[in-house]
Amino acid sequence: MICFGRCPSKGQQQMNEIILLAHVSFGVVCILGAVWVFVDVLNAREGNLARIRWMSRAAAIFMWCSFLLGGYWYVVFYPGDKAMILKGPLPSAHKYFMETKEHLVIILLMLVTYLPVAASNNLAASKDARRLVLWVAGLIPLLGLMIEGHGAIIAMGVKMALLAKQI
Amino acid sequence: MENSTVSKYTVSFGLALAVGSVADALIVIAKEKSRTVQAAMQRLTGSHWITHVVIVLILFVSFGFLFANSGGPGTRMRVNGLIKTIVAGMLAGVLIIVGFYFFAD
Repeated sequence: MICFGRCPSKGQQQMNEIILLAHVSFGVVCILGAVWVFVDVLNAREGNLARIRWMSRAAAIFMWCSFLLGGYWYVVFYPGDKAMILKGPLPSAHKYFMETKEHLVIILLMLVTYLPVAASNNLAASKDARRLVLWVAGLIPLLGLMIEGHGAIIAMGVKMALLAKQI
Repeated sequence: MENSTVSKYTVSFGLALAVGSVADALIVIAKEKSRTVQAAMQRLTGSHWITHVVIVLILFVSFGFLFANSGGPGTRMRVNGLIKTIVAGMLAGVLIIVGFYFFAD
Protein backbone atom coordinates (compact mmCIF):
# COMPACT_ATOMS: atom_id res chain seq x y z
CA MET A 1 0.00 0.00 0.00
CA ILE A 2 1.25 3.48 -0.87
CA CYS A 3 0.37 6.18 1.62
CA PHE A 4 1.49 9.62 2.72
CA GLY A 5 2.20 10.01 6.44
CA ARG A 6 0.60 7.35 8.71
CA CYS A 7 -0.87 4.40 6.80
CA PRO A 8 -4.50 3.54 7.63
CA SER A 9 -5.28 0.03 8.92
CA LYS A 10 -7.01 -2.45 6.62
CA GLY A 11 -10.27 -1.91 8.51
CA GLN A 12 -10.02 1.86 8.12
CA GLN A 13 -9.24 1.44 4.43
CA GLN A 14 -12.32 -0.78 3.95
CA MET A 15 -14.53 1.64 5.88
CA ASN A 16 -13.21 4.51 3.75
CA GLU A 17 -14.18 2.67 0.56
CA ILE A 18 -17.59 1.52 1.84
CA ILE A 19 -18.51 5.07 2.88
CA LEU A 20 -17.35 6.50 -0.47
CA LEU A 21 -19.29 3.88 -2.43
CA ALA A 22 -22.46 4.51 -0.39
CA HIS A 23 -22.00 8.29 -0.71
CA VAL A 24 -21.83 8.13 -4.51
CA SER A 25 -24.62 5.53 -4.76
CA PHE A 26 -27.06 7.57 -2.66
CA GLY A 27 -26.20 10.62 -4.79
CA VAL A 28 -26.98 8.74 -8.01
CA VAL A 29 -30.25 7.35 -6.59
CA CYS A 30 -31.24 10.88 -5.52
CA ILE A 31 -30.67 12.13 -9.08
CA LEU A 32 -32.72 9.22 -10.47
CA GLY A 33 -35.48 10.03 -7.95
CA ALA A 34 -35.57 13.65 -9.15
CA VAL A 35 -35.77 12.49 -12.79
CA TRP A 36 -38.65 10.17 -11.79
CA VAL A 37 -40.46 13.10 -10.15
CA PHE A 38 -39.87 15.27 -13.25
CA VAL A 39 -41.37 12.65 -15.59
CA ASP A 40 -44.27 11.86 -13.24
CA VAL A 41 -45.13 15.56 -12.88
CA LEU A 42 -45.32 15.92 -16.67
CA ASN A 43 -48.32 13.58 -16.40
CA ALA A 44 -49.58 14.72 -13.00
CA ARG A 45 -53.14 13.67 -12.13
CA GLU A 46 -54.99 12.63 -8.98
CA GLY A 47 -53.85 9.01 -9.47
CA ASN A 48 -50.10 9.64 -9.27
CA LEU A 49 -49.96 12.52 -6.75
CA ALA A 50 -49.15 10.19 -3.85
CA ARG A 51 -46.34 8.54 -5.85
CA ILE A 52 -44.86 11.94 -6.77
CA ARG A 53 -44.88 13.02 -3.12
CA TRP A 54 -43.32 9.77 -1.90
CA MET A 55 -40.67 9.86 -4.60
CA SER A 56 -39.78 13.49 -3.82
CA ARG A 57 -39.44 12.57 -0.13
CA ALA A 58 -37.29 9.57 -1.09
CA ALA A 59 -35.02 11.79 -3.21
CA ALA A 60 -34.59 14.14 -0.21
CA ILE A 61 -33.79 11.22 2.13
CA PHE A 62 -31.26 9.78 -0.36
CA MET A 63 -29.64 13.22 -0.66
CA TRP A 64 -29.35 13.58 3.12
CA CYS A 65 -27.84 10.07 3.37
CA SER A 66 -25.33 10.92 0.65
CA PHE A 67 -24.55 14.28 2.27
CA LEU A 68 -24.05 12.89 5.79
CA LEU A 69 -21.86 10.02 4.57
CA GLY A 70 -19.87 12.34 2.29
CA GLY A 71 -19.52 14.92 5.05
CA TYR A 72 -18.28 12.30 7.53
CA TRP A 73 -15.81 10.97 4.93
CA TYR A 74 -14.64 14.50 4.08
CA VAL A 75 -13.91 15.40 7.71
CA VAL A 76 -12.43 12.04 8.79
CA PHE A 77 -10.75 10.45 5.75
CA TYR A 78 -10.18 13.18 3.16
CA PRO A 79 -7.16 14.97 4.77
CA GLY A 80 -4.95 12.00 3.76
CA ASP A 81 -6.21 12.06 0.17
CA LYS A 82 -5.84 15.85 0.09
CA ALA A 83 -2.16 15.61 1.01
CA MET A 84 -1.71 13.03 -1.75
CA ILE A 85 -3.54 15.12 -4.36
CA LEU A 86 -1.58 18.28 -3.54
CA LYS A 87 1.75 16.44 -3.98
CA GLY A 88 0.54 14.76 -7.20
CA PRO A 89 0.34 15.91 -10.81
CA LEU A 90 -3.28 17.15 -10.54
CA PRO A 91 -3.45 19.50 -7.51
CA SER A 92 -6.48 21.26 -9.04
CA ALA A 93 -8.46 18.12 -8.12
CA HIS A 94 -8.42 19.57 -4.60
CA LYS A 95 -7.75 23.28 -5.14
CA TYR A 96 -10.61 23.76 -7.58
CA PHE A 97 -12.80 20.64 -7.80
CA MET A 98 -13.06 19.63 -4.13
CA GLU A 99 -13.27 23.22 -2.91
CA THR A 100 -16.10 23.88 -5.38
CA LYS A 101 -17.87 20.56 -4.73
CA GLU A 102 -17.94 20.88 -0.95
CA HIS A 103 -19.79 24.21 -1.23
CA LEU A 104 -22.04 23.51 -4.23
CA VAL A 105 -23.35 20.44 -2.44
CA ILE A 106 -24.92 22.68 0.21
CA ILE A 107 -27.03 24.37 -2.49
CA LEU A 108 -28.01 20.94 -3.85
CA LEU A 109 -28.94 19.78 -0.34
CA MET A 110 -31.30 22.75 0.12
CA LEU A 111 -32.75 22.27 -3.37
CA VAL A 112 -33.53 18.56 -2.82
CA THR A 113 -34.88 19.29 0.67
CA TYR A 114 -37.22 21.82 -0.98
CA LEU A 115 -38.53 19.28 -3.53
CA PRO A 116 -41.06 17.60 -1.16
CA VAL A 117 -42.27 21.05 -0.04
CA ALA A 118 -42.92 22.05 -3.66
CA ALA A 119 -44.50 18.65 -4.40
CA SER A 120 -46.90 18.94 -1.45
CA ASN A 121 -49.23 21.24 -3.47
CA ASN A 122 -52.09 19.92 -5.56
CA LEU A 123 -50.15 19.29 -8.77
CA ALA A 124 -53.15 17.82 -10.55
CA ALA A 125 -55.11 21.06 -10.15
CA SER A 126 -52.43 23.75 -10.36
CA LYS A 127 -50.38 24.41 -13.50
CA ASP A 128 -48.18 26.84 -11.56
CA ALA A 129 -47.40 24.23 -8.92
CA ARG A 130 -46.49 21.72 -11.67
CA ARG A 131 -44.20 24.25 -13.34
CA LEU A 132 -42.45 24.96 -10.02
CA VAL A 133 -41.84 21.25 -9.32
CA LEU A 134 -40.61 20.73 -12.90
CA TRP A 135 -38.03 23.51 -12.41
CA VAL A 136 -36.89 22.19 -9.03
CA ALA A 137 -36.78 18.54 -10.16
CA GLY A 138 -35.04 19.59 -13.40
CA LEU A 139 -32.33 21.58 -11.63
CA ILE A 140 -31.42 18.66 -9.33
CA PRO A 141 -29.93 16.37 -12.04
CA LEU A 142 -28.06 19.32 -13.59
CA LEU A 143 -26.36 20.32 -10.36
CA GLY A 144 -26.14 16.71 -9.16
CA LEU A 145 -24.35 15.48 -12.28
CA MET A 146 -21.97 18.45 -12.11
CA ILE A 147 -21.11 17.49 -8.53
CA GLU A 148 -20.77 13.77 -9.44
CA GLY A 149 -18.34 14.83 -12.20
CA HIS A 150 -16.32 16.84 -9.68
CA GLY A 151 -16.16 13.73 -7.48
CA ALA A 152 -14.84 11.67 -10.39
CA ILE A 153 -12.06 14.21 -11.04
CA ILE A 154 -11.12 14.22 -7.33
CA ALA A 155 -10.83 10.40 -7.45
CA MET A 156 -8.69 10.76 -10.57
CA GLY A 157 -6.47 13.24 -8.70
CA VAL A 158 -5.83 10.60 -6.00
CA LYS A 159 -5.14 7.86 -8.59
CA MET A 160 -2.73 10.07 -10.53
CA ALA A 161 -0.89 10.97 -7.32
CA LEU A 162 -0.56 7.27 -6.43
CA LEU A 163 0.68 6.39 -9.93
CA ALA A 164 3.19 9.25 -9.90
CA LYS A 165 4.51 8.03 -6.55
CA GLN A 166 4.92 4.46 -7.90
CA ILE A 167 6.85 5.70 -10.97
CA MET B 1 -60.40 22.62 -12.40
CA GLU B 2 -57.03 24.45 -12.65
CA ASN B 3 -55.96 26.83 -9.87
CA SER B 4 -52.81 28.87 -9.53
CA THR B 5 -52.09 28.74 -5.83
CA VAL B 6 -49.26 27.13 -3.92
CA SER B 7 -48.92 27.01 -0.15
CA LYS B 8 -47.25 29.87 1.72
CA TYR B 9 -44.46 27.50 2.80
CA THR B 10 -43.78 26.63 -0.84
CA VAL B 11 -43.16 30.32 -1.52
CA SER B 12 -41.31 31.06 1.72
CA PHE B 13 -38.95 28.08 1.54
CA GLY B 14 -38.37 28.75 -2.18
CA LEU B 15 -37.25 32.26 -1.29
CA ALA B 16 -35.18 30.85 1.60
CA LEU B 17 -33.49 28.52 -0.92
CA ALA B 18 -32.46 31.53 -3.02
CA VAL B 19 -31.22 33.41 0.06
CA GLY B 20 -29.37 30.32 1.35
CA SER B 21 -27.64 29.77 -2.01
CA VAL B 22 -26.31 33.33 -2.12
CA ALA B 23 -25.37 33.20 1.59
CA ASP B 24 -23.46 29.96 0.94
CA ALA B 25 -21.39 31.70 -1.74
CA LEU B 26 -20.79 34.82 0.37
CA ILE B 27 -19.60 32.74 3.34
CA VAL B 28 -17.15 31.00 0.96
CA ILE B 29 -15.64 34.38 0.05
CA ALA B 30 -15.61 35.59 3.66
CA LYS B 31 -13.82 32.52 5.03
CA GLU B 32 -11.37 32.19 2.13
CA LYS B 33 -10.43 35.86 2.20
CA SER B 34 -10.20 36.22 5.98
CA ARG B 35 -8.11 33.77 8.00
CA THR B 36 -9.75 35.19 11.15
CA VAL B 37 -13.22 34.22 9.92
CA GLN B 38 -12.02 30.77 8.90
CA ALA B 39 -10.27 30.23 12.24
CA ALA B 40 -13.42 31.32 14.12
CA MET B 41 -15.53 28.92 12.04
CA GLN B 42 -12.98 26.17 12.69
CA ARG B 43 -13.17 26.77 16.44
CA LEU B 44 -16.97 26.61 16.58
CA THR B 45 -17.41 22.98 15.46
CA GLY B 46 -13.87 21.73 14.85
CA SER B 47 -14.28 22.06 11.05
CA HIS B 48 -14.90 25.29 9.14
CA TRP B 49 -16.91 23.30 6.59
CA ILE B 50 -19.28 21.87 9.24
CA THR B 51 -19.80 25.38 10.65
CA HIS B 52 -20.45 26.62 7.11
CA VAL B 53 -23.10 23.96 6.51
CA VAL B 54 -24.76 24.61 9.89
CA ILE B 55 -24.93 28.39 9.27
CA VAL B 56 -26.44 27.99 5.78
CA LEU B 57 -29.01 25.40 6.94
CA ILE B 58 -30.02 27.58 9.91
CA LEU B 59 -30.49 30.51 7.50
CA PHE B 60 -32.54 28.30 5.13
CA VAL B 61 -34.90 27.08 7.86
CA SER B 62 -35.14 30.46 9.63
CA PHE B 63 -35.91 32.41 6.46
CA GLY B 64 -38.33 29.69 5.38
CA PHE B 65 -40.48 30.25 8.48
CA LEU B 66 -39.85 34.02 8.60
CA PHE B 67 -41.06 34.62 5.03
CA ALA B 68 -44.19 32.58 5.74
CA ASN B 69 -45.36 35.00 8.46
CA SER B 70 -48.45 37.00 7.69
CA GLY B 71 -47.53 40.01 5.57
CA GLY B 72 -44.28 38.34 4.44
CA PRO B 73 -43.50 37.51 0.82
CA GLY B 74 -44.77 33.96 1.37
CA THR B 75 -48.30 35.26 1.41
CA ARG B 76 -48.00 37.53 -1.65
CA MET B 77 -45.58 36.25 -4.28
CA ARG B 78 -46.70 34.65 -7.54
CA VAL B 79 -45.23 31.36 -8.75
CA ASN B 80 -43.60 32.90 -11.84
CA GLY B 81 -41.68 35.33 -9.65
CA LEU B 82 -40.82 32.54 -7.23
CA ILE B 83 -39.33 30.36 -10.00
CA LYS B 84 -37.28 33.30 -11.31
CA THR B 85 -36.04 34.09 -7.79
CA ILE B 86 -35.06 30.47 -7.08
CA VAL B 87 -33.21 30.09 -10.41
CA ALA B 88 -31.51 33.48 -10.05
CA GLY B 89 -30.46 32.81 -6.46
CA MET B 90 -29.11 29.36 -7.26
CA LEU B 91 -27.35 30.55 -10.41
CA ALA B 92 -25.78 33.43 -8.48
CA GLY B 93 -24.60 31.08 -5.73
CA VAL B 94 -23.16 28.54 -8.17
CA LEU B 95 -21.45 31.17 -10.35
CA ILE B 96 -19.93 33.01 -7.37
CA ILE B 97 -18.50 29.77 -5.95
CA VAL B 98 -17.23 28.46 -9.30
CA GLY B 99 -15.89 31.88 -10.32
CA PHE B 100 -14.23 32.47 -6.96
CA TYR B 101 -12.22 29.25 -7.01
CA PHE B 102 -11.54 29.54 -10.76
CA PHE B 103 -10.36 33.15 -10.89
CA ALA B 104 -9.86 34.68 -7.47
CA ASP B 105 -8.35 31.98 -5.28
